[in-house]
Amino acid sequence: MKLQEYTESRHNFEECMKCTVCTAYCPVLQVNPRYPGPKQAGPDGERLRLKDPYFFNYALKYCLNCKRCEVACPSDVKVADLIQSARIRYDKSKPKLRDRILASTDFMGSLARPFAPIVNGVTGLGITKNVLDATLKIDHQRTFPKYSGRSFEAWLRRREKEQAAFPEQVSYFHGCYVNYNYPQLGKDLVKVLNALGVGVRLLEKEKCCGIAMITNGMSEQATRHATHNVAAIEAAVHEGRKVLTTSSSCTLTLREEYPNLLGVDNTAIRDSLLMATRFIYEKLERGASLRFRPDFHKKVAYHVPCHMERLGWGVFSEKLLRLIPGVEFTLLDSACCGIAGTYGFKKENYAASQAIGAPLFEQIRAVDPEVVACDCETCKWQIEMSTGYTVANPISILAEALAD
Amino acid sequence: MKFNTVIIGGGLAGLVAGISLQKAGQNTAIISSGQNALHFFSGTFESMEEPSQQLAELFSEAGIRTHYQAGVRLMPLGTFRPAALSLEDISLFPTSHFGKKVLIVNFLGYHDFFSSFLAEGLEKQGMSCRIHQLKLAQLEWLEQSPSEMRSVQIARIMDRIWDVVVQEVRVLLKDEDTVVLPQVFGLQDISVPGRIRQGIPAQVVFAGTLPPSVPGIRTQMLLKRRYELLGGTYLAGDEATGAHVHEGVVHSIVTKNLDSHFLEAGHFILASGGFFSKGLRSNPFQIQEPVFGLDVVQAADRSDWYQPDFMQEQPYMSFGVQTDAQLHAVRDGQALKNLFAVGSILGGTRPEMGTAAGLAIRSALAAVDQILRRS
Amino acid sequence: MNSNEFDVIIIGGGITGAGTQRDCAMRGLKTLLIERSDIATGATGRNHGLLHSGARYAVNDPESAEECIKENQILRRIASHCVEETDGLFITLPEDDLGYQQTFVEACRKAGIRADIIDPDLARRLEPSVNPDLIGAVRVPDGSVDPFRLCAANMLDAKLHGGQVRLHTEVTGFIREGNTIRGVHTRHLVSGEEADYYAPVTVNACGIWGHAIAQMAGVNVGMYPAKGALLVFAHRVNNMVVNRCRKPSNADILVPGDTVCIIGTTSTRIPFEECDHVAVTPDEVTLLITEGAKMAPALSSTRILRAYAGVRPLVSADDDPTGRNISRGIVCLDHETRDGLAGFITITGGKLMTYRLMAEIASDAVCRKLHIDKSCETASIPLPGSEEHSYEAVAQKIWETPSMAQKAAAARLGTSASHIQTSSRTDESLVCECEEVSVGEVNAAIERLDASTLTDLRRRTRIGMGTCQGGFCACRAAGLLAKASGCIEKEREGLVHFMQERWKGNFPIGWGDTLREAEYTQWVYKHVLGL
Repeated sequence: MKLQEYTESRHNFEECMKCTVCTAYCPVLQVNPRYPGPKQAGPDGERLRLKDPYFFNYALKYCLNCKRCEVACPSDVKVADLIQSARIRYDKSKPKLRDRILASTDFMGSLARPFAPIVNGVTGLGITKNVLDATLKIDHQRTFPKYSGRSFEAWLRRREKEQAAFPEQVSYFHGCYVNYNYPQLGKDLVKVLNALGVGVRLLEKEKCCGIAMITNGMSEQATRHATHNVAAIEAAVHEGRKVLTTSSSCTLTLREEYPNLLGVDNTAIRDSLLMATRFIYEKLERGASLRFRPDFHKKVAYHVPCHMERLGWGVFSEKLLRLIPGVEFTLLDSACCGIAGTYGFKKENYAASQAIGAPLFEQIRAVDPEVVACDCETCKWQIEMSTGYTVANPISILAEALAD
Repeated sequence: MKFNTVIIGGGLAGLVAGISLQKAGQNTAIISSGQNALHFFSGTFESMEEPSQQLAELFSEAGIRTHYQAGVRLMPLGTFRPAALSLEDISLFPTSHFGKKVLIVNFLGYHDFFSSFLAEGLEKQGMSCRIHQLKLAQLEWLEQSPSEMRSVQIARIMDRIWDVVVQEVRVLLKDEDTVVLPQVFGLQDISVPGRIRQGIPAQVVFAGTLPPSVPGIRTQMLLKRRYELLGGTYLAGDEATGAHVHEGVVHSIVTKNLDSHFLEAGHFILASGGFFSKGLRSNPFQIQEPVFGLDVVQAADRSDWYQPDFMQEQPYMSFGVQTDAQLHAVRDGQALKNLFAVGSILGGTRPEMGTAAGLAIRSALAAVDQILRRS
Repeated sequence: MNSNEFDVIIIGGGITGAGTQRDCAMRGLKTLLIERSDIATGATGRNHGLLHSGARYAVNDPESAEECIKENQILRRIASHCVEETDGLFITLPEDDLGYQQTFVEACRKAGIRADIIDPDLARRLEPSVNPDLIGAVRVPDGSVDPFRLCAANMLDAKLHGGQVRLHTEVTGFIREGNTIRGVHTRHLVSGEEADYYAPVTVNACGIWGHAIAQMAGVNVGMYPAKGALLVFAHRVNNMVVNRCRKPSNADILVPGDTVCIIGTTSTRIPFEECDHVAVTPDEVTLLITEGAKMAPALSSTRILRAYAGVRPLVSADDDPTGRNISRGIVCLDHETRDGLAGFITITGGKLMTYRLMAEIASDAVCRKLHIDKSCETASIPLPGSEEHSYEAVAQKIWETPSMAQKAAAARLGTSASHIQTSSRTDESLVCECEEVSVGEVNAAIERLDASTLTDLRRRTRIGMGTCQGGFCACRAAGLLAKASGCIEKEREGLVHFMQERWKGNFPIGWGDTLREAEYTQWVYKHVLGL
């Protein structure tokens, strides 16, 4: 290399031109003036933190990690990564019990699932919500995701043989949501893939991707999960299978946050890890075909989740939905719904969370679709709770449109 | 993924090209690696004459309100510049003496609007000025942040409370014939600047602020919305990292996010901007075009890249990719048959196309014309 | 005593002049300091900002080494808010002679400098940016010192002791009576106002420009301007000072200071005419990067913010008419005994590090002339701002829950940060976002530290020293200056001048992100703001 032929810095913070574009796109700044903003919290703050960790600002916790700053940045500065990695390096405060509970999605799921009817009943009760609000500062206005009585893993395990019979095989990183809360999405994926001649397998054993742990100050646990998951996915890749996902946030975490924030090398799996919509679109583009119901008609408004926007793969979901005969398609303006995983569940963030999502909710009401399509489970909770409109993963819409 | 045309760059040039092609029935994609120079747009389309019918239509269909008059405009530091085609926000005057008594209104705590510079500049032109700092309760919560009292954040609030500003200014107004306000109106609601003008019984002039530019961001949002409404695919936050070129013809583009999924097309437009936008990259030894490795017109010796005087035109700004007369980009001396270079990446290599916004629009439309004539 | 009469007039607002004024003022003299530009504009503000342990001089110049380590320990006490106690490494690379290490360590110890040979592995852990191929390392008590703050604090303390300061004021001639200097004629460079000041003693503390001042007084001081070029990298690559353990040479010191780090330097003789317009050449830039990357490989791919150069005032010994016997030591000339010119003293040579000692020597000479028997107290009384050792404690004491800008201000100003107004939200809003400088801090610099131009403000607050090099803060600060001065025309010119001055340091390294930033800034200033 020649001297100064190129420059490099942590998450590209030195490429920042101080142009302030990121501040125009940060959803948090629009509702919370105590947040220093992406420019101050990210590249500006980094230079001071390098001088002395004393300059770490605890207000960085208000960052949603939606990555909109990164998508907007003309200089390829990984602004949100800078903020999150500063929190990992310098935030010495211990996560609260509430945050640990919210972050441990798979642990909580495995505890709650056997008692699903009771748990769902209890968390739905006003009194429980008030108790959670008062004791744990989980906002009482939140609707809790329901737990499913039977896990997706158990469902698929009973179909192992049948799935193994398909000529092509993929593995599925289903994530906590599909496993404990909404196995139907996993079943929909199996239906669509089977229709394409593809059988679905579980990974050896998957753990929660860890996204909520990263944002809740539990990076050590997240790193353990990351190491485990990379090995589990690598085993499937080694056997020649692609690994598919249906959650944009899990995918972003596996693909980007592992190496960039946790320092877990994922080069061996990165190219084999795909959102299911991308995998299916590419299959169709290469000549595979799906048979659709002739009578299918649906007005669909597609919301690109923030993490999907950062992945840059919203285009696959969009094109796939447009391919379905009978779909009347609207692309919603790029905007954050405000939930950002566990962020919106916290009492202190509830108002901000709803204010951030307001323009999106307004547009959805204006478009008045039959269903809002979206690749993210937490966006689904937020949009359903805030607008009353049904939200479905593009995969579920695709499954519904398939001819039997 | 296959398209008729793939455009690299989602700024003014890329969007004008994309909208025009979609309107003509093409299926196109725009790869946009982050936001662009429209965010620092002064509001005046430099070096543009009266817009053609095609351009006027494009603007009005997108909801962009422009006007045309050869004259001068007021700049944020109190100077005047010649201007013609501009956004509606920008007042154009035949001469720099546009009033007798001027009331300059700023918001208390906002440091990115330069009232005293404006007053001094206007007084030099023989106008008398009064400055008022308006204290608005609705802006107080913004002040809690030491850094975020910025044009865009104010504009977001102004979209809701512009009528309060009108009322306040009406009360303030004594015998002034002109009111100067910061350019922080009409981010989402494009009707706001017009309503302010209607509501205040004096001539209203909006003067610019430090970036980001509110009218610029609005223009970007409107163009992008129009492009997507026409069915265009806008890949925000993605970056072209390479291309497959065979025998002088570009076949596909590789992007950072889509990695192994290439974007194929019959034609390609390179509208990736100048140095700031990374359309051109420099190191101590040379200036390069990173996607295709195109030939770049440049001075060989680095000491000839600059002019020691900051205020002088800088030679590096005139560097750009080499094209033939039809804007085909040139690589290793050979024009690539289906790749057109447009906008700031041309630098000053095509003086007949003007500069900045003018260059972006003229060259984009010229490339579109070529593409449509061929297909 | 009339208002234009003083005990001593000091010419030169660098660290030597400011230090001398403080010392004299603390001894009860009525002092006046005259500076044709601003504080720290010469060599004071144009070096590494290295708080030498003396190790660098230990082998070749033991006398300087001893001076350095003594002053090093004093500055840690009296100027804690200007000093970062980083410690330093002297590393041996494979191409260097490891045998030199022993000679070096022995010389250090002899000079009273603690020098510990450490394992290269430990060196890599202590300072991860260091070249991993190193074969030897010695740890010494180097540090960094901010020359602007140091100079401002000395001048402020002089003022608190009754001293007067005239910045942007040029000495146009001396008031002579026979063979005695009685005072100076001056002219204010902005207003053009002329004034005469009288004192029984005048001190020439003008660094390399002291040559011309001496000539103006009719005496000759044999000086040799030596240019040294340096590069500022855009963030701290290292947190310890890194030196090469070999005979001192070009570009072998890398100093972390505030939010940046600085590599230097070169050494080139230049003619006197160039002293006001030193420029960094492409060859110097290449040399600095090449040599710097040997010590810290990351420098080869780290964004560079600026290039700049200073001129060392080297003095030839009086008994050496050839000028070959150049000393880097302190030179104090009493022109009465030397040249028969009474009332005139020149203090020069030395280095930033030993300014206090130079000031002591000069003040002793002044007092001797005035027959005043007062001893120097500058080694024991802290400078204003340094009453408290840690900036964390300072910030905590002033604000309880300090904001980022308040933390940064405490780190820059020490206890003087308590003079920053924080009564309104406007005071807390940021002027400079890169370096976290608030409106309150800028106003405090205007009011308390005699800042009257953007460039003055830069030296006192760091506005414009960050990544954007003034892109955003210059306009905002110009607005505040305009409010203070009431003269917009001047501030408009000041803005042009400031951006020009920033560009001067940018274009020698104008590539990559620096060129992107320049394109952006030039676009904004010319086409968006209409400068």
